[in-house]
Amino acid sequence: MSEFITAVLTSLSSGAIYALMSIALVLVWRSTRVINFAQAGQAVLTTYIGYDVIQKTGSYWIALVVAVISGAVIGAIIDRLFMRPIFKRVNSGPIVMIAPVAATLGLLGIVQALIGFKWGLTNQSIEAPVSTNGIKVLGSVIAFSKFNLLVLVFVSVAMLLLTILFQRTNIGLALRASAYSPEIAKLSGIKVDTVRTLGWAIAGASGGLAGMLYIPGYFLYPNSMDLLLVFGFIAAVIGGLESLFGAVAGAMVLAFAINFATTYVSPKLFFPTAFIVLVLVLLVRPAGLFAAKKSRRA
Amino acid sequence: MIRNKSMRRASLVSSIVVTGAMLLSTLPAQAATPGVTATEIKLGISSPLTGSAGLSYGKVPGAMKAYFNYINANGGVYGRKITLISRDDKYLPVRAATETTNLILKDNVFALVGALGTATHAKAYKAAALAANNVPDLFINTGFSGFTDQVKYPTTFMVLPTYAMEAKVIAKAIKDNFPGQPSVLIAQDDEFGTDGVAGFTAAGHKFSVPNVLYPQGYFSTPGRDAAVITSLRGLLAAAPGSKPVIVLFGTTDVTAALLKAATAAGVEKSFTWYAGSVGADANTLLALGVKSTTIDGVVSASFMPDAKDLTDPYVKQFVDINTKYNKGITFDNYVLAAMNSAMLTVQALRAAGKDLTREGVMTAIETKGAKFASAGLVPLGYSATSRIGYNGYWVSQLNAKGEGKPFGGKLVIYTTDSGAGAVEVSTFVRPTMPKNGIPTNS
Amino acid sequence: MLKLTPSKKRLLLFIIFGWILLVLSNQVGDLKLYQGSFVATYALAITSIILLTGYSGQLSLGQSALMAVGAYAGALTIFNAGFHPVIGLLVAALVAGVFGLLLGLIVARLSGPYLAGTTLALAVSLPTLANQFPILGAEEGVAFDVGSAPARFGEDFSQYKWYFWIASLAALIMVWFIANLLTSRYGRTYKALRDNPVAAELSGINVGQVKVGAFAISSGVAGLSGALLAILISGVSPSAFPLSLSFSLLTGAVVTGVYSLKGVILGGLVLVAIPEIADSLVSRIGGSEGFTTSLPGFLVSALLILAVVFAPNGPGSLIKRKHHKK
Repeated sequence: MSEFITAVLTSLSSGAIYALMSIALVLVWRSTRVINFAQAGQAVLTTYIGYDVIQKTGSYWIALVVAVISGAVIGAIIDRLFMRPIFKRVNSGPIVMIAPVAATLGLLGIVQALIGFKWGLTNQSIEAPVSTNGIKVLGSVIAFSKFNLLVLVFVSVAMLLLTILFQRTNIGLALRASAYSPEIAKLSGIKVDTVRTLGWAIAGASGGLAGMLYIPGYFLYPNSMDLLLVFGFIAAVIGGLESLFGAVAGAMVLAFAINFATTYVSPKLFFPTAFIVLVLVLLVRPAGLFAAKKSRRA
Repeated sequence: MIRNKSMRRASLVSSIVVTGAMLLSTLPAQAATPGVTATEIKLGISSPLTGSAGLSYGKVPGAMKAYFNYINANGGVYGRKITLISRDDKYLPVRAATETTNLILKDNVFALVGALGTATHAKAYKAAALAANNVPDLFINTGFSGFTDQVKYPTTFMVLPTYAMEAKVIAKAIKDNFPGQPSVLIAQDDEFGTDGVAGFTAAGHKFSVPNVLYPQGYFSTPGRDAAVITSLRGLLAAAPGSKPVIVLFGTTDVTAALLKAATAAGVEKSFTWYAGSVGADANTLLALGVKSTTIDGVVSASFMPDAKDLTDPYVKQFVDINTKYNKGITFDNYVLAAMNSAMLTVQALRAAGKDLTREGVMTAIETKGAKFASAGLVPLGYSATSRIGYNGYWVSQLNAKGEGKPFGGKLVIYTTDSGAGAVEVSTFVRPTMPKNGIPTNS
Repeated sequence: MLKLTPSKKRLLLFIIFGWILLVLSNQVGDLKLYQGSFVATYALAITSIILLTGYSGQLSLGQSALMAVGAYAGALTIFNAGFHPVIGLLVAALVAGVFGLLLGLIVARLSGPYLAGTTLALAVSLPTLANQFPILGAEEGVAFDVGSAPARFGEDFSQYKWYFWIASLAALIMVWFIANLLTSRYGRTYKALRDNPVAAELSGINVGQVKVGAFAISSGVAGLSGALLAILISGVSPSAFPLSLSFSLLTGAVVTGVYSLKGVILGGLVLVAIPEIADSLVSRIGGSEGFTTSLPGFLVSALLILAVVFAPNGPGSLIKRKHHKK
């Protein structure tokens, strides 16, 4: 029984982190129809910034705030100064299919290289602000720490804020409208370009949060979030790439699948499970498990 | 049909231009002995400067360079300055293969020194055709006993005691100090780990549960370290009241991960941790986030004096050199070992005589190497038939400050072989250090 | 008089080029031969991308995984089953091809970023399988031994020249084969597919089948190049085929023109030249370890972005534009 509880708790913890990444990917997808592979680079960059802040101030919380804000700023800058000019230039010919992927991949490489230039490549670590030891429940220690709880709380709050933003505010409405139909949105007076940059900013902030919550368990080095990117992508695809709820739900499905497979079958199934889940979803319900629409726009 | 003529022409022309440029920059024929001129000796090292192993071993090339620069400032080796060319292989066998090949082909080094890692160096040795090119492979930074095979590795000289030797000493230490306790071996699943397994078997040590063998890189995936700790707790449950001995035969990042996972689960004091020498550097463990309370009491083994022991003349001399020639780098066990190997290298080059050849330096180590001066507290085993360097260990225990002190308070040196020979207490006294740490042997 | 058809012209071109390489290989030193072997290997890998992405319009990031499949298959054939190295190379291409066929069946329905992301996931997960099965030897990998040159070439025949001969011959044969494929009816079908899938479907082309076929052939080519790479590093291990390899290959393809085979050699040269350029840059301006190690990656990424923005159709289009200006 305790194995089951451990598996559930670990799934919740890792699912929460995957969710942050998949939210970031879905946000950019909805506003620009681009899978932002550079998100891994942005998130790790903001985490390095957070690392510097910790070195200077000793406070994880200040670093967290700075990371989230700089994530938003960096996201906005990337959209304005990088993605938009590229799309303006590259708008015809078969290269259109390759350009967004190549651009974001190229950006990922550049960001990681720049991190290597500035901070070097040796592993760094960020200490969690609260204990990472298992909590004692009813006399025995379970594999869930105060930090895991913190992560869950943060992700839930972020989800709540984003939902309120999207469903209940005018800005949120503008965001949704521009994503769904840019031409009509423009006609009704929405500044589509500004709104899109806003989408990138929110995604960047989400990535910044993901980085600061993920790294304390592991090491910080330029490629340390590549894996999270892949899992975030898989989670987003499972969820349907269309809604925030789908992003989070997809992340949970993925996390549970992986954790239960590794706990009950074999630890060797960590990566294969992720890939199999992805393939299954793409074959059976390509629109995603939680999408309302049947068709999947490419 | 090739339709776009100008496109094709452009590609063809540029291909020819680039190829031509690369060909024209081909160097002329080389000197008789590669890497040696009247004024310079070029040595090469392929080791991890970045990546998980770079945290511990990244200092090695810089430390060796510092010692070589010290010697260069004091006349060099018969007037020749030593240049060490260092390439980063990230502890990956594939990269070690290409970088070592580059050292031989591109950099034209005279000899390799301090090559690091079992799997990495095994692959590199073969890929760079070191045997065919007769490149001396000196004082390699790995303890895999297979490297003493002179048929497979005719140009290789070890310096570290083999992992099999270390395992036998650990087995004896467990038998003497923790009798009756259950024990578990967690080891890297390649020749490094299996060499240790062989040593334990040769010593007749039986572990209580099957060995945990993990592939390199296994613990970089989240959750795996916690899983191992969970299984170790099963040991506790099976033998209540015991304090099992966990032998960690892996690299420092893995030792750190497991210690941290144990601390997170609150069970770190329920076990006696025996960290094999490869993964036991206290400074690195602390830097990787292991709590000092967890490190306190960890048992390990070493064959060198502790880097913090300034009463040792070798340590003091190396610290001096480090301060002057390796600015900004904190002196630790890795720097100590690296400078020690550099000192052995200089003695080897000197012993080969003024007419320096690859064959000559290898013969010199075979005939005179056992008497070289070094900081090691155990004897060197070089001879015409043996490529083994140090052949023993003393048992140490770490304290919360990260210092390694003799276990039980008294320094006892054990020597043994990689096979079925017994583990014996040794009365070895090491040679006096040459004045100012500058060898004058010939 | 012999009528030189385009395909005969092409064959002649390849034979002449092969002959030039043969002559050159006796003139240059081991280092150039070693580098040349990498150029041939990368050129072959880039060819697989030209076919898959440039012609059939499927952007995949998984070439490194397919190269790994081929490399392991070939290595195991030689090492465990004891077959001749040539068989090993053939098996490498075949097994990778079959794997690509299966993969294609799964992903052929995907497009754009879905395909990219899925192949990304593949590239990341597949190498880890090597750690799961002991026969694959984990990080130590499996040796890929093509032995030394046959005795009749003499004692002085350098090991690197032998590798160069093998790599160049294999690459030449395969690239010639693909060149023929792309200029045939199949090539036109691929292009039709890439440019307008709907119209292609309407004109009777079985889009799914063609896409899967392209995937299979491209994977076979990639598998062969993976085997060649394994020869050069004298063995295959998971770290030999990281995601960054897929990425570099894609860059090499885009930079030298992803829509045409003409640039593959240049692409291979670029990939080999970048670390060299980085090396000499570093020795000129110095830099920390982080700088030195990250510089090649930086150059590759920057090159990719520049290529996409300024020369999306390859350098040839740049020159074409200049001509037109005149």
